[in-house]
Amino acid sequence: MTAKTTVSGVAFDAQGDRNDTDRRDAAMQGFVRDFARTAAIHMESCVRCGMCATACQYYVTTGDPKYTPINKLRPFEQAYHRHVGPFAPLYRLLGIKSNVSIDMLQEWEALLYDACSLCGRCTLACPMGIDISELIKEARHGMYKAGLVPDRLELMDRTTKAWGSPATPADDFSDIIREAGEENGVPVNVDLPKADYVVTTAPAELTEHTKALTDVAKILNKIGASWTYSSAGFEASNIGYINGDVELQEKMTRKMIDNAIAVGAHTLILPECGHAYGAARWEASRWYGREIPLRIIHMTEFLGEVVQSGKIKLKKIGESTSFHDPCQLVRRGGVNDAPRAVLKALGLELKELEDHGALGWCCGGGGGVVSNTRADPLRFKAFELKRKQVEDANAQHFVTACGQCRITLTLGAKHFKWDQKVESLLELVADNLQD
Amino acid sequence: MDLLAFARGPALTFATAIFVAGTLWRLVGVLALPPWRDLSPAREGAPPNWLGAIETVFRKMIPHKTFLKAGMFTTVNGYVFHIGLALCVFAFAPHILFLKSLFGFSWPGLPNGFIFGVGALTAASLVAALAYRLTSPVLKLISRADDYVSWLLTFLPVVTGLAAASHIGARYEMLLALHVLSICAFLIWFPFGKLMHAFLFVFSRGATGARFRHRGAQL
Amino acid sequence: MRHDETLAAEMQRRGVSRRAFLKYASYVASLMALPPSAAEALAEGLAAARRQSVIWLSFQECTGCTESITRSHSPTLENLMFDFISLDYHHTLMAVSGQAAEQARLEAMAANKGKYIVVVDGSVPTKDGGVYSTIAGISNLKMLEETLRDAFAVVAVGSCACFGGIPAAKPNPTGAVAISELAGGKPLINISGCPPIPEAMTGVLSYVLSFGKLPELDHLGRPKAFFGETIHDRCYRRPYYERGLFADGFDDHGARQGYCLYKLGCKGPVTYNACATLKWNGGVSFPIQSGHGCLGCSEPDFWDQGGFYRPLPTPLGAMGPALAGAAVAGAALGVGAALAARSHQKTYLAASEKEKD
Repeated sequence: MTAKTTVSGVAFDAQGDRNDTDRRDAAMQGFVRDFARTAAIHMESCVRCGMCATACQYYVTTGDPKYTPINKLRPFEQAYHRHVGPFAPLYRLLGIKSNVSIDMLQEWEALLYDACSLCGRCTLACPMGIDISELIKEARHGMYKAGLVPDRLELMDRTTKAWGSPATPADDFSDIIREAGEENGVPVNVDLPKADYVVTTAPAELTEHTKALTDVAKILNKIGASWTYSSAGFEASNIGYINGDVELQEKMTRKMIDNAIAVGAHTLILPECGHAYGAARWEASRWYGREIPLRIIHMTEFLGEVVQSGKIKLKKIGESTSFHDPCQLVRRGGVNDAPRAVLKALGLELKELEDHGALGWCCGGGGGVVSNTRADPLRFKAFELKRKQVEDANAQHFVTACGQCRITLTLGAKHFKWDQKVESLLELVADNLQD
Repeated sequence: MDLLAFARGPALTFATAIFVAGTLWRLVGVLALPPWRDLSPAREGAPPNWLGAIETVFRKMIPHKTFLKAGMFTTVNGYVFHIGLALCVFAFAPHILFLKSLFGFSWPGLPNGFIFGVGALTAASLVAALAYRLTSPVLKLISRADDYVSWLLTFLPVVTGLAAASHIGARYEMLLALHVLSICAFLIWFPFGKLMHAFLFVFSRGATGARFRHRGAQL
Repeated sequence: MRHDETLAAEMQRRGVSRRAFLKYASYVASLMALPPSAAEALAEGLAAARRQSVIWLSFQECTGCTESITRSHSPTLENLMFDFISLDYHHTLMAVSGQAAEQARLEAMAANKGKYIVVVDGSVPTKDGGVYSTIAGISNLKMLEETLRDAFAVVAVGSCACFGGIPAAKPNPTGAVAISELAGGKPLINISGCPPIPEAMTGVLSYVLSFGKLPELDHLGRPKAFFGETIHDRCYRRPYYERGLFADGFDDHGARQGYCLYKLGCKGPVTYNACATLKWNGGVSFPIQSGHGCLGCSEPDFWDQGGFYRPLPTPLGAMGPALAGAAVAGAALGVGAALAARSHQKTYLAASEKEKD
């Protein structure tokens, strides 16, 4: 693992010791093998109007045209036309679409990983309705196969393979839960053989936001649910989904689902994590191979349920707040109303950001960007957008429902010495439970 | 055989055959790929996939205000030449006769003077689109040969049509022949370049619509 | 009148006034769109001209062109024949027949070597040695070759002579060709039409007589004076076209209102002729005025343009079978491409599985 730069001076990382042709071929294989109908339609449909640029925080804040979302797909568009498209045999025969070069792949590594948070705002801007962020995810499948992934992300990948989580060895999981329970004075359940609810976690909870582990316990205890954490299937963040490591994505999905089935749960609660929602709620069945016999819901949906059904009563905070919509949860997940209902139940007056809901700007750190330290300068540029809208909203609180967003926004605030606390919706609920 | 007879006869038949074959080749070639069946349970209250798809085909006709602000020129100019082209193609009496000969039914047209004005506006709008493509850093970067070829082959029928209608540049039958030949070139190129978006947009928007509406997400 | 006497002398002898003569000259000048000053030049040219020997050859034709020229109202054929030209051979109109007729042609050719004008109506069959049309046992092909050898110029009259016309229509069983293909470099004027407008024929002959040269011609060898504009451009129904008012049938409201006949297959927009201005039968009417679209008879291959009632913008070919074939082929290629992509994906998948092992 060594940091290198391309001819044009762009930094890239490469893993493994392979010759360029092998690497390139591996990228093409990884990319081509998963290609299905919808992705193909979208690869065919671009009219090069440039509207997607106006939707991307990395383009808007830098003005650099290379950050135009559709441009990030260039090598893979070429590969698609050479290998999958309807005219592919013709192109190969006539040599019209040449094979992608390794230089091009190296050059594009930063565009695919550092300059895309998979937030999908471009999808909403595209007049052709091309789901660009989904295609970038497909492209990452190829990049991972080629060993052209930012080292920090690859490190998380290897850690997850070894430990079952990028944050902690699975063996330590039950200890972390119990410690958090003791520290916060909340009874916790871990590794119960049977339970109705299985609660999962993301790295953020296991490292920086350990209070979240007991916040959810507090609520579940309050409603008298039968629930548990499980060392055998606790990790929901699914780094494979982000890195493009489909084998790992499948493995992590199966592990989590198989455990929940073994426990006999009717509901699996995902942590306050955006990509966990995308990976588990919408993609799990694709990797699991069949319909999943239990309900998978996000923490925010769970909060919405218990608040709206009246199972828990909340104290009214009676102040104003703005809300950062996590992309995978709201724009790409459709959970728009639940967080707003919970905020209302908390008696918080919601001052919406100028762009909110499905159209909200990304925190800039999703899709692995926040873990990829190489991307820090770009991420901080993107942060300026969010900061301005939060300041313009001029509310007393600033709440979100995704641990990664929260870390990204907190890091941004710290970097710019901006005095703005970023709060968790779960924490607000747990802290304001009525007895 | 003179040029006009060649254009109206073998050239047009050949071009239309290529258009039909190429379009079906591309559409079937994509649609016959295996789907990834989405087995995730739909959001409560989500419309069925087909309805989500159709909703989105229409929904995407109007950009969100926030994107409109930044993409005002692209959107407005795009509307101008798309509507202009549609009027020229579908509301000009001679074109209606052409379409009637293919499909067997017709509809009333608009006066020539009006169509001529629309055609001139369309040509101007296309020139503006090209100028924008050649000057915007984003468009310069993402444009391919396809974009310029498709532009030219859209522009040529418009200007040859205007020239034929106003008898400028050559004898009428020569201008008419060139007009028909420019349509032939357009038809032949259509399936192989981005002009195909005229069909693909339905599937492209529809696929995303089905995916997003299944999730209860807004588009 | 003798061949060496000028027309002026001849007319003086007949008592034609100079005023009447100038009137005719200015009429022809205006027909030919010549400048006003040219009328006098034309008059003087005609006055000084000697009687012109004309040999009229009728090949594969219907005699419609001759019928048309005999109906020219000014100058009348009689005037033209007896005052301005010496029609030395025209097998339809000449009194003599048989050997004597052919003798007249040969004599005229010998007497006016290099000076006589050949007028041809009808196309020439070339297939099988030209056996499909003969006169006095001589094939048209041979007679044309023989007569043209010492001619000053040739005037092809009617669309058959100009472009092959109906005899050359598909499948052209006799191998009929236009005179231009056999003229061998002789100066040629095409006066097309089926038949041509009489004034176009007489006007052109008058011009050649007085100026001794060919008038200005278009790219098809037609005098621009008569073939410079389309029927559509000069049609009195043109305003209806511009306003989008059309007759949809020959007996509908639009037809009765006199709307544009474009939808009924009028070829006016691509037909160059003077029908809309000179009209026919002494300026009485022309086809569009009587409610029928222009057939485009003065244009090449007018017979093979997909039908007189097929509107101009419609395709000429039979699209149906070609498109059905294309649709099947396209769909098959599409399925093939998708299958190829699947197998390509599987090959790639196999390769990546192997790599994993």
